[in-house]
Amino acid sequence: MPPPSERAGKQAAAQQAVDILHEIATILNTHLDRRTLSICISMIENGVNPEALAIVIKELRKRGQEIELEAAAAAAGVSTVPTRRR
Amino acid sequence: MAFLAQQGALIDELIEAVAGIPKTRRQQRAALRDFVARSLQGHTFTRTNQFEVQDRLRGLEERFAVCGREALAEALDQRLGSLQQHQTPTTPEVLHLLLELADRPAQHAKLSD
Repeated sequence: MPPPSERAGKQAAAQQAVDILHEIATILNTHLDRRTLSICISMIENGVNPEALAIVIKELRKRGQEIELEAAAAAAGVSTVPTRRR
Repeated sequence: MAFLAQQGALIDELIEAVAGIPKTRRQQRAALRDFVARSLQGHTFTRTNQFEVQDRLRGLEERFAVCGREALAEALDQRLGSLQQHQTPTTPEVLHLLLELADRPAQHAKLSD
């Protein structure tokens, strides 16, 4: 195990790299916050394909919005299930 | 499933961070977990080509300049330069992800963010 000072140095360097990547993410208008970006970096380090991950993120955003709308409609007492017309 | 054992915790975090579904909604979370695991495992994408990523980033810098967003082009160039000191084997893949998620940056990106 590396000494604590070395570990702290590596951690600081990794944090800096995430900071820079987050700035690039902002310039590219990716709508990723720092926490989500850190999760994505960990997944990619574990072998996840970036293109597949991008598709998953877009779909999760969509589904998150749908669930939010459903919850808002339920709170307002409106059904989001379309009714069949005769 | 080895994949879920390895990625399960990160998938849960991703669902919470991106879709914002609270832990109390177990059924919806479980369905999304399944969807994410299947999508990440069953894809047919090839590996990231770091030269292609570099080309796309340079192309974007040029587009910023053409669209009169020189400050944005300069900011991107500066960050890419700084990133060279922090390169890891997965840096091109992370940049690839960012390029895939880019949302019309020449029109909508704000430096103040």
